[in-house]
Amino acid sequence: MWMYSKKLQYPVKIKNPNPAMAKIIMTQLGGPDGETGAAMRYLHQRYSCPYGEVTGILTDVGTEELGHMEMISAIVYQLTRRLCMDEIKQSGFDSYFVDHTTGIYPVSAAGIPFTMDYLASKGDIITDLHEDLAAEQKARTTYDNILRLADDPDVKDAIRFLREREVVHYQRFGEALRITQDNLDCKNFYAFNPEFDIRQARALEKSRK
Amino acid sequence: MNEREVLLKRVQICDFALADTALFLDTHPENQMALDFYKKYLEMRKSAADAYTSRFGPLVHSDYDGGPRWNWVDNPWPWQNEEA
Repeated sequence: MWMYSKKLQYPVKIKNPNPAMAKIIMTQLGGPDGETGAAMRYLHQRYSCPYGEVTGILTDVGTEELGHMEMISAIVYQLTRRLCMDEIKQSGFDSYFVDHTTGIYPVSAAGIPFTMDYLASKGDIITDLHEDLAAEQKARTTYDNILRLADDPDVKDAIRFLREREVVHYQRFGEALRITQDNLDCKNFYAFNPEFDIRQARALEKSRK
Repeated sequence: MNEREVLLKRVQICDFALADTALFLDTHPENQMALDFYKKYLEMRKSAADAYTSRFGPLVHSDYDGGPRWNWVDNPWPWQNEEA
């Protein structure tokens, strides 16, 4: 069960509108390596996860990603306030504006709506954690690219915070992978799938106690 | 129901009453009867959550009790329902 907390994880205070930048940053809400995909990925993978520490990190990172969806939405909202029609036409924001005005709708920078095709939940914790490690690095690269494209210090400050969180999440998922492997057969990590072959997983746990 | 389930049910009842009343208050922010009802359940929720967390561990991170282990990660997670 979730409770909403009426605050951003890190402050977003952007003074100057910039619809072209909004269109680029929107990709971290609705794009292939964005925060919506991240939240959906971890919050779906966790159910069949057999190890409490790993379930915990998937739950808590997934929850943080929901907060990052809100931060990206706040950035896009603040970048598209008080626009005149000339700014909308000249910035290339017109192709978004025609369908969504200045409402928040998760699309990639190229305008493709969010799809669950961007993520996987494989029912095998080793496989899922490798996906998660890759996803954090892909998001980190995207934030690095945004930092190359942005020049407003107000925008860069919030983006730098989000980029740093990708690095921290990558570190924690690496530790989760190590915890998973410590629970498996050290001669063959793939001898069984601990999310599916529950009896074998429990027998191995018992034999160690 | 075992003791854990009984104590958890009390928290769930209070939390649902609070969530449902919050929806009503969102559209009736000055309704005194609803405000009083919310306050009553908030107090019941506090004692129900204290009773649960002191014996069975945290419901949210900030229920941490200062002990030597981060028991947040201990099974069961809510969907595991191993007793059934």
